[in-house]
Amino acid sequence: MRFLVSIIVVFHFTLLVKAQQPCTQSVAGRILSASGPLSGADVIITSVSKGSATNDHGDFVIRDLCPGEYVLEVRFVGFETRVITVVVPQSKPVELVMSPESKNLNEVIVQEKLEQVDRSANYAVLSGTQLQETAGKSLGESLKALPGVSTIQAGPGIFKPVIHGVHSQRVLILNHGIRQEGQQWGAEHAPEIDPFIASSIVVVKDAAAIKYGTDALGGVIVVNPAPLPEKAGMGGSVNTILQSNGRSGAVSGMLEGGVKNFEGWGWRVQGTAKRSGDFHARDYSLTNTGIKEFDFSAAAGYHAEKFGADVFFSHFQTELGILRGTAISNLNDLETAMETEPPIGTTNFSYAINHPKQQVAHNLLKINSHWERPGGEWHVQYGYQSNFRKEYDIRRGGLSELPSIDLELRTHTLEAEFETTNAKGQQFCFGLNGMYQDNRNVPGTQRIPFIPNYTAISGGPFAVGKFPIGQWTLDVGTRYDLRSYDVVGFDFSNTLYTANLLFHNVSASAGMSRKFGQKHQVKLNLSSAWRPPHVAELYSLGTHQSAAAIEYGLLLNDSTNRVMDISEVPFKVEQALKAVATYQYTTERIQVEATVYSNTIFNFIYLQPRGVTTNIRGTYPYFRYTQTDALFAGLDAEMDYNLSSRISLTAKVSLLSATDIRHDDYLVFIPSNRFETGFRFSSSSKRFFVQPKVSFVARQFRAPRVITIGEFNDAIENGTDPLGGSSKNFDFMEAPPGYMLAGLAIGYEWLVGQGKFDARLAAENLFNNAYREYTNRLRYYADDIGRNVSFSLKYTF
Amino acid sequence: MKIFIHTSSSRFQFLLIWIALVILSVGCSKDDPKKEDTPELITKATLTFTPTGGGTAVVVSATDPDGEGVQNIAVDGAIDLVMGTQYVLTIDLLNTLVTAGQPGYSITEEVEEEGDEHMIFFSWTGDVFQVPSGNGNIDNRGDAVDYVDLDGNSRPVGLITTWTASSSVAAGTFRVLLKHQPDLKTDTSGSAVGETDLDLTFTINVN
Repeated sequence: MRFLVSIIVVFHFTLLVKAQQPCTQSVAGRILSASGPLSGADVIITSVSKGSATNDHGDFVIRDLCPGEYVLEVRFVGFETRVITVVVPQSKPVELVMSPESKNLNEVIVQEKLEQVDRSANYAVLSGTQLQETAGKSLGESLKALPGVSTIQAGPGIFKPVIHGVHSQRVLILNHGIRQEGQQWGAEHAPEIDPFIASSIVVVKDAAAIKYGTDALGGVIVVNPAPLPEKAGMGGSVNTILQSNGRSGAVSGMLEGGVKNFEGWGWRVQGTAKRSGDFHARDYSLTNTGIKEFDFSAAAGYHAEKFGADVFFSHFQTELGILRGTAISNLNDLETAMETEPPIGTTNFSYAINHPKQQVAHNLLKINSHWERPGGEWHVQYGYQSNFRKEYDIRRGGLSELPSIDLELRTHTLEAEFETTNAKGQQFCFGLNGMYQDNRNVPGTQRIPFIPNYTAISGGPFAVGKFPIGQWTLDVGTRYDLRSYDVVGFDFSNTLYTANLLFHNVSASAGMSRKFGQKHQVKLNLSSAWRPPHVAELYSLGTHQSAAAIEYGLLLNDSTNRVMDISEVPFKVEQALKAVATYQYTTERIQVEATVYSNTIFNFIYLQPRGVTTNIRGTYPYFRYTQTDALFAGLDAEMDYNLSSRISLTAKVSLLSATDIRHDDYLVFIPSNRFETGFRFSSSSKRFFVQPKVSFVARQFRAPRVITIGEFNDAIENGTDPLGGSSKNFDFMEAPPGYMLAGLAIGYEWLVGQGKFDARLAAENLFNNAYREYTNRLRYYADDIGRNVSFSLKYTF
Repeated sequence: MKIFIHTSSSRFQFLLIWIALVILSVGCSKDDPKKEDTPELITKATLTFTPTGGGTAVVVSATDPDGEGVQNIAVDGAIDLVMGTQYVLTIDLLNTLVTAGQPGYSITEEVEEEGDEHMIFFSWTGDVFQVPSGNGNIDNRGDAVDYVDLDGNSRPVGLITTWTASSSVAAGTFRVLLKHQPDLKTDTSGSAVGETDLDLTFTINVN
């Protein structure tokens, strides 16, 4: 640590010396709001990375400038960012009146292609400071900061984002404008995206993301990069994060620039390396939960007034250990594993990643282009993704070195769209998307594949429009999609089967938004979306990593296991009807946003517990993919209250109720209600802050019945049905009690010559509580992680 | 969608053609998947009690008709032992989805070879044995079971064991539990350690 500090200090001085230039001019001015001076606003000249904050009178000065023309950027939370040009030396001080922010489109625009979220869409954004706060965390864990978003976990390193209670196949992730296609069907398969590539992450909580195709029943996560530079010059950043829990370190660097004498050309390279050892609960080490990750990306583009094109490539690669104590076989093993604490196989801290583990790699190549033509603008985008997933279990016969699951998924996507605006200010967009996907089991696992090989082709046209109607803005959209599957797999007896499936349907959405005066805004959205079933939901066969349960697909016969034709079962595609309403209240002092939603998913596909089966290894509960109707309803609210220019209070609430409305039952692994509140104390310069935080997660009372393994075994011994003849959902363990966690973050930023340093010291689970989270699969076996102290340092130049 | 055709530029068409070519070249390399061997699966377990003094062996087996499928295993009868007789029990494990003689058919060999990470535990009810006495070592590793085979570390494996039936009429159950304990098997590691490879319970009678 002392070493690190001395490096920083040396660095600091070097840059100070470098900054000694004969430029002595300054820019001064005053920043106001409608009600008077605005103190604490950031005034930045990005081209030379200099800045200042306004004082209590709203005044600022930026010194040591050379004569010339500068672009001044003024930012303040809750206000629209303003950009003005000043000439140095100044003829008169700058005076600028800021207007309160209406959370509008601007935040969500991705470089050339407008990855635009409709005005009436209900969404949340993670960017700037908030994104920096999550530096070093995985994508799923980062998104937990947003109201309405939670995660399902498979240990301390594997997080899947959950939007309004739904996840996996029902949440669409757009990475740089391309639908992320991995093996997202698995609850322990986290998104293969390095969050450091994002300058903002937007979570759209409406169901129909009309432009991107099917599946977005819960919402869409949009991972946006910053626009590429267009002018000569070079910039970049280095981010280092050290964490006590897991003794982890992460380094991420980015370098970008324009090309001299080639106006409009820009490039960026970026890379992240992360290493973590075993995480630690309060009382014991979580053996074999280490992480090894390495990612890089490169982008280049050309942007002129009427034409632009970008090429982007990214590689993501991770190795994740899965808690040793979860390596279990049958029901009795599960019982032992649940009862043993610390978990079986717990050893001292280590960086080693042994079996069971996952190795995942994901590549993305994207080419996109746009042309402005008379009458409108064209966008074309092509993406190629390859995803490699290997899952290793503890196996007999020297087979541990072979993956039990070894899948290669290759996906091509192609999109074209045309955008136009007429004289009445009505906007239209028409387009077409297509996808070709090939999933292949790499031979050599020495096990009947869990999911079959398949080829999927899908696509469809869409049309969206935006109409100003008086005070209201109306957004409407519709699309038609088709998906075909060509499936080849092996059944329980290792006999080949094939199938051809075709699904098609229509999605539609309508939204309205309106401002009432300067302070109030209302958004209403109604959408209907559908989702073709995933091959895994139809044909899964076998036991999956760390789950002492056998899973059967929808098309496997109940008694003979024969693979059936889809016409033999009463299958219907999943369809969602989601209504979302948001109210925003925005003033200088208070910003409030509240969203209520109701999402009815008809023919909802989920794994239903069906009974127990015995094989030579013992007794197993088995689950079968089934359909029902589910209702997800809830409320998210967030409030920011500026008590003074230096103290602000934040509060967040996420409430959710999820029920199986066909059987009047609860669903398993639904996030419970959660609350978070925190203060932020800043110095008058806004360079220094202290941020204490408390979050409370309630116990999940809306959980299915509990059948303990003891009860299971008693029933089996007595020859009775452990499920009591009922196919109601169940869980092996009571939902864990609610818990409260405290956190504290301290940050300081300072400018050094051309650059800016951002240092942050944070503690999560400050009081080192032992707790378990209901949506973490690890909860059956071990406590969640204990106190984590992290230090991060970011240098931007 | 007419709009597309009218205004599409040559650059746009070029891009489309190029992408179509990429898809064709990558997408057409498809062939039927290869059948996997499934050496881990145990579909049949046979227990053979051979009287040490000669005579007919008592043979019982448990068969799994469908591997990972939903159907339960079938046991072909009870273990019927003769009072006061000493037996050698050998356990034979097969994967009948693999052709006889092929690698992966005999799981017994694998367990033997990896003896240092496998152990078979036993338990029984009804005092059906004179020797060893007690109820077996599933509840407590230290309890008596007469192992014959040992692994490379001189620890018991359990594919071969000896038993003497009770001297009086008795009846109960007999449970065989094979645990896989890679890096976990020690002199004291019990039946709770490791993953279960085999867990069978038979009816046992002594007459």
